[in-house]
Amino acid sequence: MNPVRVLLADDHKLMRAGLRLVLEQQPEFTVVGEADDGRQAVAMAKELTPDVVVMDVAMPNLNGIEASRQITAHGAGARIVMLSMHSDEGYVLRALKAGAQAYLLKDSAEADLVAAIRAVVEGKSFFSPAVSRVLLEDYVRKLRRSGAEDSYDLLTPREREILQLVAEGKSSKEAANVLNLSVYTVDTHRANIMEKLGLKGMPELILYAVRKGIIA
Amino acid sequence: MTQEEPPTAKLRLVLLTAFGGLLALVLVAGIGALRVLRELHAEEEHVRETMLAGGQSLTTLCTSLDVYRDRIQRMILYPERSGDAARDLAQVDTAIDSLLKTFPQIQEPEEKELVDTMERLFAEQRAMLRSILTWSPDERRRKGPRMLVEEMLPGGERIQQTYERVTVYNSRQVGAYEHELLARFEALQGSLGRLLLVSLGAGLVLSLASGFYVLKLERQGRRRYAELAGSRSELERLSARLVDAQETERRTISRELHDEVGQLLGAALVDIGRLSAMVPENNAAAREYLGKIKSTTEKTVGMVRDIALLLRPSMLDDLGLVAALEWQGREVSRRGEMEVEVEAGNVSDQLPDEHKICVYRLVQEALNNAARHAGARNARVKVEQKDGGIEIEVRDDGHGFDLERARGLGILGMEERVRRLGGWLSIESQPGKGSVVRARLPLGAAA
Repeated sequence: MNPVRVLLADDHKLMRAGLRLVLEQQPEFTVVGEADDGRQAVAMAKELTPDVVVMDVAMPNLNGIEASRQITAHGAGARIVMLSMHSDEGYVLRALKAGAQAYLLKDSAEADLVAAIRAVVEGKSFFSPAVSRVLLEDYVRKLRRSGAEDSYDLLTPREREILQLVAEGKSSKEAANVLNLSVYTVDTHRANIMEKLGLKGMPELILYAVRKGIIA
Repeated sequence: MTQEEPPTAKLRLVLLTAFGGLLALVLVAGIGALRVLRELHAEEEHVRETMLAGGQSLTTLCTSLDVYRDRIQRMILYPERSGDAARDLAQVDTAIDSLLKTFPQIQEPEEKELVDTMERLFAEQRAMLRSILTWSPDERRRKGPRMLVEEMLPGGERIQQTYERVTVYNSRQVGAYEHELLARFEALQGSLGRLLLVSLGAGLVLSLASGFYVLKLERQGRRRYAELAGSRSELERLSARLVDAQETERRTISRELHDEVGQLLGAALVDIGRLSAMVPENNAAAREYLGKIKSTTEKTVGMVRDIALLLRPSMLDDLGLVAALEWQGREVSRRGEMEVEVEAGNVSDQLPDEHKICVYRLVQEALNNAARHAGARNARVKVEQKDGGIEIEVRDDGHGFDLERARGLGILGMEERVRRLGGWLSIESQPGKGSVVRARLPLGAAA
């Protein structure tokens, strides 16, 4: 099996060195390049076509979120693992909307990096445990303040199954295969889930799933 | 700038002097005119007394002389009634005598001459009377007619002539008196005219002087106003530069903290991690120390990050204004200070950096005041882009504060930031009723 080709983008040299060290200890990964800022990351992603880009959010010239958007838009199929200091949903949602599949806190980046890259290569999402915790706390506090019910309780068991499969990165067809249902039925359930939870699009669905601890 | 009296006080003084001076002039002119009038009146009285009284006496004297002559004539013509005539004569004689004696001492030459003439005539008549009285009745009959024709008639004529001269003299005196009065009146007119002219001139000078002075004060006032406006705009520029400098400095320090300190701490954490892997499991003491070092370092990393964020909210760069505001709200909620709800739907992410920072800092300051000083439990942030501007409203349920007393640097800073972008800021707060901070920033062609 060919090693997974990884591009590192972070304006901090020490951080890049640390990440490289972690990856080089695993024979399944190879680091194909290092970028100093967002602009360079976009250029190198186009040129080197890596399988995974590990991207810092806060970078000079072009920030990681914008760079991710451009790399995703380019359509070379690179998966993006976002690195950030912030566990705030504003960041997580923006990262997801920009095309990131994994979101790691820098504090725990070295510990979680291998698992995160493995997950995105398989088409799954990955979030640092601390991120899920903060998102859940914010969510619970908001619910308590507004006095609203937890909309998760509104979902049927079947819908919850589908929510988890979709959030893990499976397509409707894959989910249909797993559950022995028709694609049409899965699509109907998906629409109902979005409606009940008041979600707009996949990034919000994934954020919701992370928040609820359905996926990690 | 030199220390001077305020212009209004000077103006008051000038106007007071000018009007006071004019009033004084009018007063002086009036008093002068009154005095001259009184003088004229007194003069008239005096002239009438001396001139006309003199003339009157002359006439009386002359008439008395004629009566005297007439009585003598009667005595000659009617000797049988000479007793009555002699009595009358004695009376008239005494009257003429006293008149002559009481005649005013100061006399004009002509008047003097008239009096002398009459005295002489009187003496003649007396002499005649004395000689007649010495006559016997026979002599009277004989000599009487001759005396009448030769002496009495010419004497009467002379008295008549003198009377005419007195009349002429008197009428001349009246003319002179009138002339004198006219002259006096003209003199008064002249002096009044001069007084008026002087008053007018003085008034003109006074009003011109005060006018010029007022103009000068006005120019001075304008100049001072311009100076004030200049120094004010200078101050505004300075304070704008101050805000800019502060923001730049914060950004620099924030970057230093994040890039340098943060990175070194990060490297230390990485090394601690590697070291932990090398320490054997059975060395519990070393592992405990390492754990402590790790947690201290992590805490430090967290603090450095928080400080850097406070100095320069990198969310603004990473996420844009709306997400940064939402982040801020959640951050305050997370700290458990108070619940913050943020509503900022339609705000463009293409706002100029200055505007983004202004809105962000304003909301930050308002939330900080609400949580720390007003003890609020809930706050609502509303940011809207409409009518070519951004409107911000931060409403809390705290116990409010007295605006006059709580006008701290935070509020001043907010005002300053808003004003230099051409906007306005208003704060409504009443003790016990919470506060509402409202602001509007015009965008112009900026977004």
